[in-house]
Amino acid sequence: MQREDAAQLHQFVLHAALDIVQDLAWTTSAMFLKAIDRFNDLVVSVYVTAGHTRFMLLHDSRNEDGIKSFFQEVHELYIKILLNPLYLPGSRITSSHFDTKVRALARKYL
Amino acid sequence: MVDPANTPLGKMLLEEITPVVMVLCTPLVEESCLKNGLSFVQMLSPFCDFTNIDVPVRTASDQPYRLHKFKIRLFYASDIRQPNLEVAKERLKQVITKAGEDDFPEIYSDLPQVNDLLSRHESEILPTWFQFFNKELVRTLSFSDHEAFDHPVACLLVVSSRDEESINRFIDLFNTNKLPSFLSDGAMDPKVLKHYLLVHDNQDGASEKATKILTEMRSTFGPNDCQLLCINSSQDGQTRHKDTPWSTFIKNLMQELSSKHIIPYMEQKIRLLNQQVSSTRKGFRNQFKNLWWRKGKEDALDTTNGPVYTFSSIESQIRVLGDYAFMLRDYELAVSSYRLISTDYKLDKAWKRYAGVQEMIGLTYFMLDQSRKEAEYCMENAFNTYLKLGSAVQQNATRCGLWWIEMLKTRNQIKEAATVYFRICGEDLLHSAVMLEQASFCYLLSKPPMLHKYGFHLVLSGDHYKKCDQIKHAIRTYRNAVSVYRGTTWNLIKDRVHFHIGQWYASLGMYDVAVTHMLEILASSHQSKTSQELFLRDFLHIVQKTGKTFEVLKLQLPVINISSLKVIFEDHRTYASPAAASIKEGVWRSLEEDMIPSLSAKSNWLDVQSKLIPRKYKESNICVAGEANSSNVEPQNDEYKTSTSTGYVWLLSTYMYNAYIYICLYVLMCVYVFTIILSFGRDINSSLVLLEVDFSLEGGETILVQLTVTPRVEGVLTIVGVKWKLSSSVVGLHNFESNSVNKRIAKGRRKPKHSPSADLKFIVIKSLPRLQGFIPSLPEKTYAGDLRHLVLELNNQSKFPVKNLKMKISNPRFLNAGNQSYLNVEFSACLEKKLNVEQSGGHANAKKMLQNVFHFPEDISVQEETSLSWPLWFHAAVPGNISLYITVYYEMENVSSIMKFRTLRMHYNLNFALTFAIYVLPSLDVSFELSPCPSRLEEFLLRMDVVNKTSSECFQIHQLSSVGQQWDVSLLQPVDSILPSQSLFAGQVLSCFFMLKYHRKSSTSEDSNPLFLQSDVRLGPPGNSEALFDVCSSPLADFHDYERLYQGMSCQGNVDFVFITQLWRGNIDSGAPHRPLLFSHHVCHSSLSSFSPISWSVDGPRTIQHNFSASPCGVNLKMTINNSSDAASSVHVKTFDPPSSNSQSIDATASQSGLPLENQAGWFSIPAVNDTKVITTDALAKRITKSVSLESAPQFIWTGSSSTKLKLQPRATAEVPLQICVFAPGIYDLSNYALNWNLAPIEESQGEANKSSGECQGYPYYLTVLQST
Repeated sequence: MQREDAAQLHQFVLHAALDIVQDLAWTTSAMFLKAIDRFNDLVVSVYVTAGHTRFMLLHDSRNEDGIKSFFQEVHELYIKILLNPLYLPGSRITSSHFDTKVRALARKYL
Repeated sequence: MVDPANTPLGKMLLEEITPVVMVLCTPLVEESCLKNGLSFVQMLSPFCDFTNIDVPVRTASDQPYRLHKFKIRLFYASDIRQPNLEVAKERLKQVITKAGEDDFPEIYSDLPQVNDLLSRHESEILPTWFQFFNKELVRTLSFSDHEAFDHPVACLLVVSSRDEESINRFIDLFNTNKLPSFLSDGAMDPKVLKHYLLVHDNQDGASEKATKILTEMRSTFGPNDCQLLCINSSQDGQTRHKDTPWSTFIKNLMQELSSKHIIPYMEQKIRLLNQQVSSTRKGFRNQFKNLWWRKGKEDALDTTNGPVYTFSSIESQIRVLGDYAFMLRDYELAVSSYRLISTDYKLDKAWKRYAGVQEMIGLTYFMLDQSRKEAEYCMENAFNTYLKLGSAVQQNATRCGLWWIEMLKTRNQIKEAATVYFRICGEDLLHSAVMLEQASFCYLLSKPPMLHKYGFHLVLSGDHYKKCDQIKHAIRTYRNAVSVYRGTTWNLIKDRVHFHIGQWYASLGMYDVAVTHMLEILASSHQSKTSQELFLRDFLHIVQKTGKTFEVLKLQLPVINISSLKVIFEDHRTYASPAAASIKEGVWRSLEEDMIPSLSAKSNWLDVQSKLIPRKYKESNICVAGEANSSNVEPQNDEYKTSTSTGYVWLLSTYMYNAYIYICLYVLMCVYVFTIILSFGRDINSSLVLLEVDFSLEGGETILVQLTVTPRVEGVLTIVGVKWKLSSSVVGLHNFESNSVNKRIAKGRRKPKHSPSADLKFIVIKSLPRLQGFIPSLPEKTYAGDLRHLVLELNNQSKFPVKNLKMKISNPRFLNAGNQSYLNVEFSACLEKKLNVEQSGGHANAKKMLQNVFHFPEDISVQEETSLSWPLWFHAAVPGNISLYITVYYEMENVSSIMKFRTLRMHYNLNFALTFAIYVLPSLDVSFELSPCPSRLEEFLLRMDVVNKTSSECFQIHQLSSVGQQWDVSLLQPVDSILPSQSLFAGQVLSCFFMLKYHRKSSTSEDSNPLFLQSDVRLGPPGNSEALFDVCSSPLADFHDYERLYQGMSCQGNVDFVFITQLWRGNIDSGAPHRPLLFSHHVCHSSLSSFSPISWSVDGPRTIQHNFSASPCGVNLKMTINNSSDAASSVHVKTFDPPSSNSQSIDATASQSGLPLENQAGWFSIPAVNDTKVITTDALAKRITKSVSLESAPQFIWTGSSSTKLKLQPRATAEVPLQICVFAPGIYDLSNYALNWNLAPIEESQGEANKSSGECQGYPYYLTVLQST
């Protein structure tokens, strides 16, 4: 149950950070918003695409460059997903390929 | 800008940071006061707050100012000490608990909505007890020794007039060791302003004694410092609220105390201290000295709390100066004092004092309403310093934080305030919970509202509350949080919120509410298996606790796939099995097309219906009383990975028009334990038939549940929804009407605009006959070629007979209606050839077959409560899966109903997936090859190849028959020589040669007798006398016709064979294992297409003796030409006179074959000509040309016409007479003729293999002419 609690806490933290994303997204033209929120040791970094899709990363390390590259590559993957005519924007991405790719990116950059 | 004093923080400070008056009183004083139900301090306190005291004050500066608001705080000496932390906490806990009870939301109140919250004013949203709690929290910090504003400024000594030796009592009072610790331990100057008060209760007697004592006091303590307070205690403890004449006394007393004693005392002290401070600390010299001195001190003192400052130390004095100045609103002086001392404390590392001073600087700046940045910086600095000091000064940090927050709030920096609230949270969970909740409200109230943060902090707060057992608070916060998470896709956290609310409500025993929240999380497919199990277990546990059955409209477990809802009902269409009902309507309709009355007839009965039935229901469906309606509902359990709950499904029906509807339901597949219960209705309880079926649904499983409703009387039946029972106590309810999901009415005649309610509404009409039909002993698995006798059972259970039966079978190749006479005959024997039976059936059925509708004889009707059996023939024609659709049409007799006819639809899927599956396995592969005998007209060599493709079966060959009465079949060699056992084992290949001879149909009657025909060949053991099967009569002939139909598409041939085998072992599914199974393999249209359609033969004498000396010999020959094609053809027979002698022509042949030309004439041997070998026309042509090139006189000539033209009808034969004249004896080859044929084109395009014209050279025909002597 402890792992579940942690997972839920992470979701809560990410969810709570949405407020700040909302504010920040319109103040800058950069897609990478850097670390925008924190809860204790947990830091939330956000990347907002031009279509206002938000990639949020919860992390505790401070490797801004890596996170930025990570987000950029995930963005590319996401665009590929969007190109799929059967994918409904905003719906859950079920592609396992996407998943493995993102995991590989995470290993590479984070 | 608002006056800082009017802000919440300002008000708070003016209330909290005020001079403290220490009260010392004798027990008798308390006693007198308690008669009125109040303590002494309580009695005086209301009069200590002066809104307009209007006293001139002059502090350090020479400029006096007026003080308007003033307040003094009264405390008993015993209370003036640092409150016991435990006690304080306990008190705070009580505050919170009480607030929890008060603020606890109504059980059935709706969950708060975010928009609703936002639209309301701040004061409505914020729980009022926050203020109170914060105040209490700040008060727990009172009387710390490092803060002078809590140190008593004055001491009020109170003695009752009843006390003995009042004067001594006064002295005793101050000398007791009840005094606060900081008076004794030197933190504070013990020389405080003393004021003496004598309390006299008028009830105790006249005031003379009191006056006397007062005079005595005045003489002892000074005339100004003594006062008399007369009170009037009530006799019996009863309080009278009007007429409090002494209240003005007290008011005056306190005002006098404040204005005449306390304030002047403070002024004086400020001036004194200021002077001292100026002399010791102000100016460059003093500062330098101070710095130098402190530097030296640094090494000596290394205690954690920094040095101890006594009241006489300059640091304490400066602090007192600052605090007094603050209390007298001389903020400039206060700030300068605080700043002065702050650096000292910092240098001394007296961090707590440093933080306290920083805090005061911040507050003072705030009250001055200047340098806001500085104020905030100071507050933050103080706060951080406190935090650094750890848990010991947590209370200070909390208070500092709260003041800071108020400061931020005043400046509308609500977001920042929220973060401070968050930072206040310390080790004390309960306090943290309250702080977090306040933080959440800050986020809610910030502009724009930060709802996500609001929710998060509410959840955090709720968790803290929960840890402190403040369940009600926890519920309240979580309920607020629900409004944030509702409607988001963040399911994990949404579930958590609901789950915890549910659990907590349950722990409070409020199971009803708990259940509503638990319901939200049942369909949580995103959760892990353990969580799902936990959710479900807790849910069921709570439900069990409630001890009642819940009816839930939105039970999400299992999920009902409403798009799968299918209502199957029978109007004139009835179904033999659910499988039949699930077939698409279009399939049935195309099958029934030519069988049921036309559509116009239907509209007729609709017209009738509209007369009978209220217009309102015109578009409703019709069903018949006593017959079942099924609706399939598909519960899906994909949410729950494992669950073994029990449940029920039932169908809700309402009824109208006083119809008594009887509902019984059943479930086809039983997996998830669902028990099917019944439905309702007030009047029908007595007539319910209850059918409970449990089924369990495993996690992730989807099943189709079929529920059946059988209305018993006429009326209107409406299907409202479905109910099911989960785990015997939760009833899920799904209303079909309410959610306008696309409903499919499987069998309903669709109208373009179909209201869903109409689909679920049925008009129940009077009971009608309904045939039930089934085919027993339909095999499940068989081999191709299997021929069986089956019986169709039609059952009429109603009171009315039905008539005019018609039947249509979708695929007559496999299933065929038989003749009634076959009903009771013994199978396989009935197929045998009978000598005396004339050929009946057979082709008489041809017409019937074409239209595929089988009309039962007119006299056949199914009487009431009887059944009809009808023979059917089954032939597994090809391997594979086959679907069979059977429709039986019937009309009702003697029933005046809007329905005149009904159909029974049966469906058998020859597929091993279903119960009625028939899977046809491949058995024997039979192929035939035909080769013509060139020399003989209409004789063919037939090769039959049979391969046993089964894995284990052994077929016994029985018979080969050619179909039609045109062919004679005979064995070329006895079967014994090829296949001694007459059995074909698995995988065995058999090749067998037959001679096939065309049996000309002649007009003469004796020839047409089929008995002379050898169209059947017995292949069985030679001694076997088993009868041959008759392939010319039903059903073999029928099936053969269908085979012809199906096989005849691709090739054009005209010989059909039926190969019959038997299988003795009954190890495949067989109704009668003792009798052999019969297999017939039909091969139709065995092709002759590679040959020319025209064949001919020349008949005539072979050997003639003739006396050539007399005359040339004339020979008559007859050419028979047969047109085997389907088209009329014109044939042109041309004869050429042989250019050379016969011998030469033979020589030509011989030379071709490489033989020496030895004998020009006379006898010589002829190279054998292989009859079976096809001599190509090319070869013949060559020979002819060669013959022509030789110059010699011909020895015979064609006489008669050299060219004959004739027309040949399709499949007709003609004879052409030919004549030659032979001049010399010899052997002549009469092949020098040619046939040109031309097929007249027929309408249907023929296969490309068929030539439309051609030329054929004559066959060799050797005529031997001998010289007769």
